[in-house]
Amino acid sequence: MIIELMLNWRDMTLDVDPGANLLQALRDVGCFSVKTGCESGDCGSCTVLLNGEPVNACVVAAGRVQGMAVTTLEGLLDDPLMQELQTALVDSGAVQCGYCSPGMLISLYARMKEEGTPPDEHEIRHALTGNLCRCTGYVKPVEAALDVAGRLGGRS
Amino acid sequence: MRDLKEYRIATSPAEAVALLRAGPGKGRFIAGGTDMFLGRAACDFVVDINQAGLAGIERTDQGDVLIGAATPLQLCHRSEELGAFAGGELARMAGQCGNRPVRSTATIGGNLCNALPSADLAPVLLVLDAVCFVMDEESQESLPLADFFVGPRLTVLEGRLLTGLILPAEAASRHCHAIKLTRTAEDISLVQAAVGLDVAEGIVTTARIALGSVAPKPLRCHLAEDQLAGLKVADITQDLLADVALIAAGESDPIDDHRASAEYRQEMARVLTRRLLCRALADTGTEACNEGDEGGAA
Repeated sequence: MIIELMLNWRDMTLDVDPGANLLQALRDVGCFSVKTGCESGDCGSCTVLLNGEPVNACVVAAGRVQGMAVTTLEGLLDDPLMQELQTALVDSGAVQCGYCSPGMLISLYARMKEEGTPPDEHEIRHALTGNLCRCTGYVKPVEAALDVAGRLGGRS
Repeated sequence: MRDLKEYRIATSPAEAVALLRAGPGKGRFIAGGTDMFLGRAACDFVVDINQAGLAGIERTDQGDVLIGAATPLQLCHRSEELGAFAGGELARMAGQCGNRPVRSTATIGGNLCNALPSADLAPVLLVLDAVCFVMDEESQESLPLADFFVGPRLTVLEGRLLTGLILPAEAASRHCHAIKLTRTAEDISLVQAAVGLDVAEGIVTTARIALGSVAPKPLRCHLAEDQLAGLKVADITQDLLADVALIAAGESDPIDDHRASAEYRQEMARVLTRRLLCRALADTGTEACNEGDEGGAA
């Protein structure tokens, strides 16, 4: 089936299998930040933004995104907030194997973009409920996110 | 869903039912789809209802709250209308389904149409007297949610479309509490319980108790409810609540599986029901029992 979407700020037309998930469709066009993990909506390594909302690309049908905006980490590399999150993760030692990092970055980015005051530790942990990390753990990523949230709060 | 032959997108409820009826082969509606990707599609084609205008929550002038079937769980969680309805318990429970990215896409209608005995939102919706709207090409019907479930993964739908739910205004100030017991926060629940009490002039005018994951379908515990309805709140004792919880658990019919034994589930149904009843009564200013005290019929 043919679907039209805005992928990373560019209008695109994709030819996808009717039963394909969004994860497959994105990797087929070279978005390799979107990782294949559990393929059951548990691990979050395929987290992308669908109209700004974080979703697991493995349990979203490719056909579902017809007419919608999909953003992967590739589309946010020049975004100042994303760059700040990336730097904070590296500086705090939150990245070991890195497999979960793109998904975590997307989840944190989506949370930081929400309206209202920047998230506290509880809210950051809540935002990361869909991202499993099996080597670094969660203390360092949460510290990194708190660091960024603190600076966001200082700016507002 | 690798065996799927066709993915159709409906732009209205009427188109959705027509596209499903059109065939050829077996079709299913798809909304969030988070569950359908966990196995084979078991159908030839799906009809996507996400763009059919069925997502959204609104409060009517009469005070009813309408919830579109394709409303994502995260939207339910953050909804002001649901946050203000019966203490916001439905909104709170919606925020406990799956994880954050799953809630962006999984829908309230999908949660019900999957008809798992463990459907996360079923017990709380049952105690709020939710009514379902169902349609096909010829007819539209509304029915209580309690009549919607037939068995495990079975509903009354048979190819019809669930378009939405209504929470009646009468339940808007119900003292409602719900809980789910899980191994980990994201796991399918072992036991769920929900209670709802209306109290007017010191008398329990409505009593609702519902359980999940302990029967072939989400369960209303009518026998237990009947023990409470009509009672003076002042006459409700700790022993009475313990008895009611025991009766509710007795109405369940759980199975053993790799998550928990039937015996454990039934015992937890009793414990959770009693605690929730305590909370609901505490809301009314009654101190019938101490939530942590497992005395009485234990």
